[in-house]
Amino acid sequence: MREHGRVPLLASILLMNWLTGAWAVFRKDLRVELRSQYAANTLLLFALAALFLVAFAVGPQPLSARVRAALLWIVLLFAASIGLGRSFVAEYEGGTALLLRLHTRASMVFAGKLLFNFGLVVLLTLVATSVFLLLLGVSVGTPGLFAGTLALGALGLTSATTLLSALVARASRGGPLLPVLLLPVLVPVLVSGVGATRKALLGQGWGAAQDELLTLVGFAGATLSAAVVLFDYVWVD
Amino acid sequence: MPSQVQTQGLVSRRLYRVVRGTVVVVLTGILIAGLLGKIPQLDILEQSARNLYFHVPMWFALMAATIVSAYHSAQHLRHGDRIRDLRAREAARLGLIFGGLGIVTGMVWARFTWYEGTGVWWNFDPKQSMAAVLLLIYGGYFVLRDAIDAPRTRGRIAAVYNLFAVVTMPFLLYILPRQMPSLHPGGEGSPAFSQTDLAPAMRWVFYPSVLAFLGLCWLLYTQRVRLAWLREVLRQKALGNAHGDGDAAH
Repeated sequence: MREHGRVPLLASILLMNWLTGAWAVFRKDLRVELRSQYAANTLLLFALAALFLVAFAVGPQPLSARVRAALLWIVLLFAASIGLGRSFVAEYEGGTALLLRLHTRASMVFAGKLLFNFGLVVLLTLVATSVFLLLLGVSVGTPGLFAGTLALGALGLTSATTLLSALVARASRGGPLLPVLLLPVLVPVLVSGVGATRKALLGQGWGAAQDELLTLVGFAGATLSAAVVLFDYVWVD
Repeated sequence: MPSQVQTQGLVSRRLYRVVRGTVVVVLTGILIAGLLGKIPQLDILEQSARNLYFHVPMWFALMAATIVSAYHSAQHLRHGDRIRDLRAREAARLGLIFGGLGIVTGMVWARFTWYEGTGVWWNFDPKQSMAAVLLLIYGGYFVLRDAIDAPRTRGRIAAVYNLFAVVTMPFLLYILPRQMPSLHPGGEGSPAFSQTDLAPAMRWVFYPSVLAFLGLCWLLYTQRVRLAWLREVLRQKALGNAHGDGDAAH
């Protein structure tokens, strides 16, 4: 009888420990980031510069919905692939990876970093999208579908980027490696995201974009589960 | 005394010889029968239908190489054997080679069927583009390997990337191409090699060709694995001599 009572208690204590650990990693990253705002500023400035380049390059004439959707997603993907690589590299450069490894479990580190990167991607998406809508004078036909597509895309983008940036951080010649690894893997996000965004811009309903949304959900789910399983091998020596 | 490096355990010599003989004979036969044999005369396709004997088996070989590479990557993560990493690497390299050949043969075929009279070589048909992305992923795998110096770390990190990429491949190969209009055979309203689509005479060349290309892929794979293993052992020996300790080739 006593054993039966203890198992759920033990499980809930372990879960609480895990959540506390993951939250602590997230808060640490957030605090380091708030100290210098390096990652957020790089990300946002890159996205803004790219958007201005796009606006200058295409000129004032109106664009088709497909081209607009494609431009937005290209800017988002490139900005994420360039700006999100820092958090793991910083652990190795600062020599804090070993301490982190001693004090927390791999899954906590992954969850904390994932949350932090997701925050950065959400910030990036919000800023880049509003500037994009403003600069190109785009009106969105179905705002709900537009927001939903961006949110699902951001999830898939974050899970793939977090794992791959952890891989690149282990490379002695990192440099521009992350975009090379990331962009081919993110092709499904790009294709489905552009498809659904185009339909949202044209004012079509949720039902019309069903295939694309399901693909985005599937991609986010598949990459997230694979990343959770595989991260242990990247983090622990 | 120059010591012999053994690669006996990696592949059965007898099996290798049997497969080598069979592949040489069968592939020669397929080259002759594939280029000179009778095929049904169909509009648009005409003689280009012979591409089936070469293009499709190349993709079978790519699929097999992908699966073998992912399997050995998973085994490498589980047990950490060096040989598993070498096997995963060589299988990925063969996937790249057969995939590249498959893309080229497909491109030439599409030029004279889909885009006949337009002079277009590449028009971003979903299946073609996704296949190209697949090759980019394997290209990334080798770039990642080259970016890491320590062999143990390199093996593990490359295995993780390989498995992660394999998880996203179904989206590239099966989900996305089915959501977009494609001219590629096997899609909606476009014949491929189901029961009614393939002439009986062509089956007698096509099926052996698939087996022969898989055999060729295996031959190249085992040879490359043995070569990679020899290099590895010799490198370890050289390192051992340089450091002056005898337990190099463990």
